[in-house]
Amino acid sequence: MQSPSSLDELIEALRCLPGVGPRSAQRMAYHLLQRDQAGAARLAKGLAQALERIRHCARCNNFTEQEVCERCASGRRDASLLCVVEMPADLNMVEQTHAYGGLYYVLMGRISPLDGIGPRELRLDRLLARATDGVLREVIIATNFTNEGEATAHYLSEMFRSRGVKSSRIARGLPVGGELEHTDSGTIAQALLERRPL
Amino acid sequence: MAGGERQRVDGEPAFVLHTHPFRETSLIVETFSRNHGRVPLAARGARRPRSALRGVLMAFQPLSIGWFGKGEVRTLAKAEWMGGQPLLQGEALLCGYYLNELLVRLLPRDDPHPGLFDAYADTLQRMAAGLAPAPLLRRFEKTLLQELGYGLTLDRCVDGGEAVAAAGEYVVVLERGVMPSQGQPDEQPRFSGKALLAMAGDDFSSPEVLAQSKTLMRMLLSHHLGDQGLESRRVFKELQGL
Repeated sequence: MQSPSSLDELIEALRCLPGVGPRSAQRMAYHLLQRDQAGAARLAKGLAQALERIRHCARCNNFTEQEVCERCASGRRDASLLCVVEMPADLNMVEQTHAYGGLYYVLMGRISPLDGIGPRELRLDRLLARATDGVLREVIIATNFTNEGEATAHYLSEMFRSRGVKSSRIARGLPVGGELEHTDSGTIAQALLERRPL
Repeated sequence: MAGGERQRVDGEPAFVLHTHPFRETSLIVETFSRNHGRVPLAARGARRPRSALRGVLMAFQPLSIGWFGKGEVRTLAKAEWMGGQPLLQGEALLCGYYLNELLVRLLPRDDPHPGLFDAYADTLQRMAAGLAPAPLLRRFEKTLLQELGYGLTLDRCVDGGEAVAAAGEYVVVLERGVMPSQGQPDEQPRFSGKALLAMAGDDFSSPEVLAQSKTLMRMLLSHHLGDQGLESRRVFKELQGL
């Protein structure tokens, strides 16, 4: 029997989610239509609303419903510091430390040459415009310590250096409370290479 | 192999060339192994927050890996960090991506090239130690072309096999080889005999040889890469354009 075309369309649409293949998409579609129609309606409404209202903050590039997000608009943050992170989840982690009172810039990705993601795709010109506003004293590059994160950090540091903006990179090494015995050798090797004088 | 027969490999020296997310928590890892060539492997659960594979499956680091299974994508059984090499940084890191992109684009899967593997490992090692990348890249490109069967004789001309003279001027014709430059169209880049002989002897130390070998390798590689340019080269260019 041929399944109705709007069902097919829903299944096909669900496949755009990361990690969802044809089977999971089918399972989700049947669940939404058969078991949880209210949930399906909420999902549809939520998606439509978010798509319509959410945009990128003009200052930090994070998701927001305003032109400038609350954090950037608040006068209580130190506008001379800018912390550059890859994703909103990274921003949340830095915020949780309560150790940083400056502002942020969210790249929404990282440079990954083999995936065709370069400075142009990340719109790094926007970050540069943001960083040269005159108030800024230092940019803290807090991209991940993966190869992609490091490539991004290298690119950013060169970009800022050429424009005379002071930049720094967050430190890496053993975690707080970390024991050598239980740490992976890559981390220990790098911690030895990047040791600092006391 | 990539066929139906089951495979079990252990303790194989390898590098990660590239990874793609796969299903909810897994990765497809494009590896370059010493004795089996480029092998795609599924690393189950490698994207879980506490996965032991997370810090290990990093490009440019010498690994010892094991896998099993049949078909095109086999299953990663284990991966260990061999150590002894600092992480690539800065410009060397972007050059590393260039090497990886060349291998992903040009090296067929399941085609062993131990010589190329050793050249790759050596190039990374030297770049990690802080040596200037340009001569290392040119030598690797030359080895790559040779290993893939696209190697050119640089110290002799194609017709008649006349030896290249240091003082002479030559062109390199694609799919054929070195020819004296007289009577060749103007748009063909000219190479000095001295530079060709130095390249043949793997000596990329002088700036002139370095510049000419870059032109030559780019010409040969773009011929084999086809129309689609290299992303890593584009990113590198954008960086230099700052």
